[in-house]
Amino acid sequence: MKKFTSLLFLLLSVVIATYPFAWMFLSSFKTNDEIYQPTLFLPADYKWDAFISLFNASYLPFLRIFSNSLVLSFGQAFLATLISAGAGFCLAKYKFLGRGLVLFLAIFLVLIPKQTLAVPTFDWISWLGWRGSLFSLLLPGAVSGIGVLFFLQVFRRFPQEWIDLARIEGMSPFRTYISLLPLVLPGLMTFFFLHFVLSFQEHLLPLLLLDDENMTLPLALATLKDSSHRIPESVGMAAATLSLVPILIMFSLVFGKMKTALREVILS
Amino acid sequence: MFDSKPKKNFVSFFFLLGPFLCLWVLFWMVPTGLGLDLSLRSPDLELSQKSAILFDYPEKQKSFVGLENYRRAFDDPRFWKSLSNSFHYVLGSLLLILSLSFMLAVNLQSLSRFWQTPLLFCLIIPGLAMPSVLSTLFYLFFHGKEGALNQYLIMPLGFEPINWMMDPDFIMPSMIMQSVWRWTGLVTMFFLCGLAGVPHWQLEVARMEGLGMWAKIRYLWFPAIRNLILFAAVFLAVEGIASFSGAYVLLGGSGGILDSGLLFITYVYQVAFPGGSGRFDFPTAAAMCFSVAPIVALGLYLILRIRMGPLSR
Repeated sequence: MKKFTSLLFLLLSVVIATYPFAWMFLSSFKTNDEIYQPTLFLPADYKWDAFISLFNASYLPFLRIFSNSLVLSFGQAFLATLISAGAGFCLAKYKFLGRGLVLFLAIFLVLIPKQTLAVPTFDWISWLGWRGSLFSLLLPGAVSGIGVLFFLQVFRRFPQEWIDLARIEGMSPFRTYISLLPLVLPGLMTFFFLHFVLSFQEHLLPLLLLDDENMTLPLALATLKDSSHRIPESVGMAAATLSLVPILIMFSLVFGKMKTALREVILS
Repeated sequence: MFDSKPKKNFVSFFFLLGPFLCLWVLFWMVPTGLGLDLSLRSPDLELSQKSAILFDYPEKQKSFVGLENYRRAFDDPRFWKSLSNSFHYVLGSLLLILSLSFMLAVNLQSLSRFWQTPLLFCLIIPGLAMPSVLSTLFYLFFHGKEGALNQYLIMPLGFEPINWMMDPDFIMPSMIMQSVWRWTGLVTMFFLCGLAGVPHWQLEVARMEGLGMWAKIRYLWFPAIRNLILFAAVFLAVEGIASFSGAYVLLGGSGGILDSGLLFITYVYQVAFPGGSGRFDFPTAAAMCFSVAPIVALGLYLILRIRMGPLSR
């Protein structure tokens, strides 16, 4: 009986969490009139017009926006993983002058969200002359305090003896780090994925820094919603569905590894 | 053989730590410095409107006005309104997300792998969708007289349908619900991983002693993830203060009726950039950020420090 209520509670939460997304997918086939009846689940008939109009760029250069977003998020996630893993490794396994300071910087990087620095960042990047290009978002998004703390935790569980042994063998910290990397693959994948998701969702900085020819997905979705009296709602729903696809594919690939990595990080 | 070759180590550290420190200086330190400087200068409206297009920074000779911008920010009732809104938003979503996630994690924990994995997977999906998608869905699916919230929840309970977006009392709950919908799954996954740390023999003892659900939560599961809950709380608080996308899409960049959905970052955006009120007032926007962010960060840091002991182990 207790088992039953617990399962019921879980199933109810799952339905609440996911039903709107099923509705969203099916709404990409609906007419506006059908969409304005939220209790209606299935469309009257299945027309792929909304998707076709996206791919034909009838309203927005959707493919370009989509690839912009993918390239930017891949780049940010890749760089952030690379940079944070190195810094985390140093903090976890070596004592050096200024270690406390670096750790302090990483913690404050987590506690002060970059959105609060948006205005001066905008100023600074405009001054550098990078405004309007995707490149301008790549580097600011690659520094992640949470990443450093995450990898600090990941590398901490390796015995100190290994590091000492490597040193006796004459390996530099860098070589040691490279040879340990395969062992933290789940951690690397997890962080890559989480950072990918976060940068895929980033809205404020792209809004300030990119112009209309170089939009990313969140901006495109906001535009589609704003102009819903000119563009059928189904187009917005189709775009939203497509925006979820790459993330869901990646998520199903890393899900198993993610649980392993998180368990190790949390329990170490 | 035992010398640690300090020079070689230095090169290694340079490659490992260098990029992080370098980017930190470039995109954190420099903006902070610029922002502090900006917040002390006069908002020359005419100049900044022109230069917003060209933006030749060095030629913009703004005069030094000291704390004038901070005073203006503090005199602005909408600034305080946005802060109090953000505070309510953070507090409400924190309490709901943490308690709901804890309950979900405890319930998931007793299930077999076969059930656990797909259920968890589905719970996390909203956390992977973009906040703007969640907002659009909220707008089309949940809100409105015909919307799911009224049709499935409010009206069956016998209440009058609620106008979620137009009633100032209900904009904030709508936004909190959105945040709960978004984060609960991910936080549940973290908690579930933490619960795996409860040793098997303890559960066994609890079962043999016939401990009730409540006692198990109190003595086994809650202590196991207490620190994790704190971390999640800090992360969610920072995320809540920084949240922009959801509210921006939901309310079209405005603060909603009577500003009751005006969040802090949205207001900073409104002050700084056109499309909001068109004030183009960079210095005041910077001043607002610099009077809020350090206090919040320091507060959270102290909480972490006190609860977790020294972090720099």
